Amino acid sequence: MSGPDFYHVCCRYHGKPVRLSCRDGRSHVGEITRVTRTHVWIRPLEGPRGFNYGFYGFGYGGFGVPFALGALTGVALASAFFW
Amino acid sequence: MSNDYLDILAKFGIGGAHPGGFPLTKQLLEKENLQENMTVLDLGCGTGQTAEYISTTFGCDVTAIDNQLLMVQKATNRIEKTSLPVHVVLGDAQELEFKDHSFDMILAESVVAFTDVSKTLTEMKRVVKPKGCCLLIEMIAYQDLEEEIRSTIAEFYGVQHVLTEDQWLEKLHESGFTNVQVIPTMTTLHKTEITDINVSDDIKLEDYDLWDKHAHLTEKHALHIGYRVFRCCI
Repeated sequence: MSGPDFYHVCCRYHGKPVRLSCRDGRSHVGEITRVTRTHVWIRPLEGPRGFNYGFYGFGYGGFGVPFALGALTGVALASAFFW
Repeated sequence: MSNDYLDILAKFGIGGAHPGGFPLTKQLLEKENLQENMTVLDLGCGTGQTAEYISTTFGCDVTAIDNQLLMVQKATNRIEKTSLPVHVVLGDAQELEFKDHSFDMILAESVVAFTDVSKTLTEMKRVVKPKGCCLLIEMIAYQDLEEEIRSTIAEFYGVQHVLTEDQWLEKLHESGFTNVQVIPTMTTLHKTEITDINVSDDIKLEDYDLWDKHAHLTEKHALHIGYRVFRCCI
């Protein structure tokens, strides 16, 4: 297996803010709202932290924006403690 | 010593992976009077975000060193995409390959605590110029830790000791730094927004388990461990 099974990683972080890295080199930040075997949906974070990120026009009242799991190169929490 | 924590940082390839993150790095560097003709050592450079920033912003001659091959590879990849004159090398902070008095500034962003502190500080003092300075962002214990907490932290993070602020100051003085300031910062640890990431494609679910264990440990011991910034001159 090359890389982890992002399905399990996305399930683990359901409801949390994450940063998705994609094969096209871009990355997207949002809260995971839905995970299927093929896709993960993230909703941009609102509020003063300025996480909003290029989702204008999608109308994200629902699950937000889907990304194909196969297009991902990395999934990590959007913020964390570090030493 | 186990270095699972440093291994997962390398695999996730996270820039600014230290207390205060990259915003603190920039804030500290703004106050230094860095000039183009200066030589800077980024000790424990990780994926090279700070080294790239110093070279771009201040035009200094930057050397970046790390003891983890994966970090050095990721830092090298980052620098190769630019035309910046940053030298990235694999090496040990405790036995630096540089000549005495080589650098005007040495930056160690949560690095020294993961090494034999006295050895590394002695090496930093040796390679910094007499009028240069060292900036350290390092983990501290708010007071002497109970043995159970100390051993948990030491084992997970692969550190030998978790020094208090006073113990750090003592070690710094013993190593020959006579003028040491503790720079005021937010002293408690806050979450850092991750904006710079380069994930290895062999990352596994076990690495996520370690990440979660780290987050849990840090939150659990937030009343015991924090960080300080030390600005050290000879």
